[in-house]
Amino acid sequence: MNEISQIFEIVNFGLVILDSELRVKHWNQWMARHSGIDAERITGAFLLDFFPELKTPRFLRSCKMVLAFGNFSFFSQKLHHFLFPFRPDGAFKSMFEHMQQNCTLGPLRNDFNAVNGIFLIVQDVTELASYEQKLVEMNMKDGLTGIYNRRFLQTRLSEECQRHGRYGAKLSLIMFDIDFFKKVNDNYGHQCGDSVLKSVTANIASIIRKTDYLARYGGEEFCCLLPQTGLTAAHRLAERFRHQIEALKIPCQSHDIKVTISLGVSELRSEDSEEMLLKRADEALYSAKSSGRNCTAAIA
Amino acid sequence: MNDTQISEDEQDILQEIMNIAFGQAAAELAEIINIFVVLSVPYIRMIEAVDLPGYIQTEFSEFGNISIVEQNFWGDFKGTALLIFPAGSGKELVSLLDDSPAAEFQYSDILEKETLMEVGNILIGACVGKVAELLKDMVTYSPPKVIVEDHPDITMSKTLFDPANSAIILKTVFCFNERNVHGFLFLITSHKSVVWLKTALADFMKQYE
Amino acid sequence: MIHKILIVDDSPVSRKMLKSCIPKDREYQFVEAGDGLAGIESFKKHQPDVTFMDLTMPVMDGITALMEILKYNESAVVIVLTADIQIKSINRALDAGAFLVIKKPPTRERIQGVLSQAEAVLRKKS
Repeated sequence: MNEISQIFEIVNFGLVILDSELRVKHWNQWMARHSGIDAERITGAFLLDFFPELKTPRFLRSCKMVLAFGNFSFFSQKLHHFLFPFRPDGAFKSMFEHMQQNCTLGPLRNDFNAVNGIFLIVQDVTELASYEQKLVEMNMKDGLTGIYNRRFLQTRLSEECQRHGRYGAKLSLIMFDIDFFKKVNDNYGHQCGDSVLKSVTANIASIIRKTDYLARYGGEEFCCLLPQTGLTAAHRLAERFRHQIEALKIPCQSHDIKVTISLGVSELRSEDSEEMLLKRADEALYSAKSSGRNCTAAIA
Repeated sequence: MNDTQISEDEQDILQEIMNIAFGQAAAELAEIINIFVVLSVPYIRMIEAVDLPGYIQTEFSEFGNISIVEQNFWGDFKGTALLIFPAGSGKELVSLLDDSPAAEFQYSDILEKETLMEVGNILIGACVGKVAELLKDMVTYSPPKVIVEDHPDITMSKTLFDPANSAIILKTVFCFNERNVHGFLFLITSHKSVVWLKTALADFMKQYE
Repeated sequence: MIHKILIVDDSPVSRKMLKSCIPKDREYQFVEAGDGLAGIESFKKHQPDVTFMDLTMPVMDGITALMEILKYNESAVVIVLTADIQIKSINRALDAGAFLVIKKPPTRERIQGVLSQAEAVLRKKS
């Protein structure tokens, strides 16, 4: 085995060489290890017979581009996740079902400079992708409650407002907070305060639609963004929130804590900015608070 | 005339080679992967590298927001290809590639970006590849990068615009006739490539003496 | 017999390439024009036996010029030589009445072949 062939087997990424008919000419150790298919078995066979999932317009187009133009083609993990359906290697099994891959296709030429084959490189980027996914989640979620954070809400809000501007889609917002939350902290301690925050948000999260966005807006203040929803429906939903929480018993240490929430509802008007929508919800919440708490107020 | 300048004759030859290369590229793209693209007659000029950002800026002032696909190529012919689209073209181009993207990406920025990259990779590869082929060169490519600019106020890597370099700009307007999307393809080569290019052009013309 | 050849192409390099591909065994007379409109005028003035026509040109494109020439002389032999080799463009040129469409860059073999074909047709006509 010459030095180059040794390297071919040693490298810590997948290397495949295909002829112009997409038959496998070389299949390195790495590919054998992750696919469970030995080089002897696949050499000479059509790659697509072993991996029918590669029969996509994108993959076939890439091969044609390599053969006709000497083009390179890149399959990024970001969009494609993977090309070959391999199991993840090692400790990252829980996060992804498949090994995340960045793949590159490029031309191999004969002595006359004509393209007569394709090389395919497969890089395992599962670890990187899982870090990235965690970062993305950290960036949009609240650490304590697991619901969206304020920054994410702002982004969604401006996107939904744009959609409203473009398509006239309805949009409502419920802003609510926990009544006398400071007393919970003072009477039962901060651990119980955290439990209350978690239970309240988990409860509300369980009754909203997938298309709604529940976010922690401040300490004990929350927002729920409701696309395709008018004021009346939003008000009805807010009341459901209120009844749900009113009936909720939150066990903490030896206590069963009970809390109530006050809610403000507003709907986006056609000339509105996102700040205006927030401001009116906030005003509605204030008026709910001042009319005795544990109630809902709406400003159209 | 020093050896990093291109004479008028050489410019004419290059123009003709580009013309032929882009013609072949367009025909083969249609035949091989069903992408119908119209490439205009390329326009060639020498420009000082430092003037390039300003040049691009004025060229695209009426575009408003733009998306740029950048891809480097290496061979004897070496440089950077820039594909410049009006922002939002990615959405229009998604249906050009008959892939069915995963539902999670259906309307996302990622899909738009990746579509631009894919279309960029195809166009740049076809055009540069055909030029290289006619000049008997062999090139490799870096993965494409997409830069989405809020306005055509170009801030790009300093290495690309080395003030000591002059750049040959090859500009062509391309348009996907069925999609009503048009944009510009720029090939920028450093003056290192110019020395090689002059020899390659002379060699090319030898067959026509 | 072919004596006079008109070359219509906006690129001097392209015209030079084509001329170099035409066999040197006979004394041809060459006339050149840089755009479609100039091409029509040259055709009327010089009455060439064969015309080579580019497609993408300033002032007037090759297809328009080709059709004008055929309107003036319906038996004119106009060979389209173009870099635009998409099927659609080739068909458009053939529909407009091109004798043949050949792709750039020209090669000696191809041009020689085309000229013999043209000569055979011209001989039949006369």
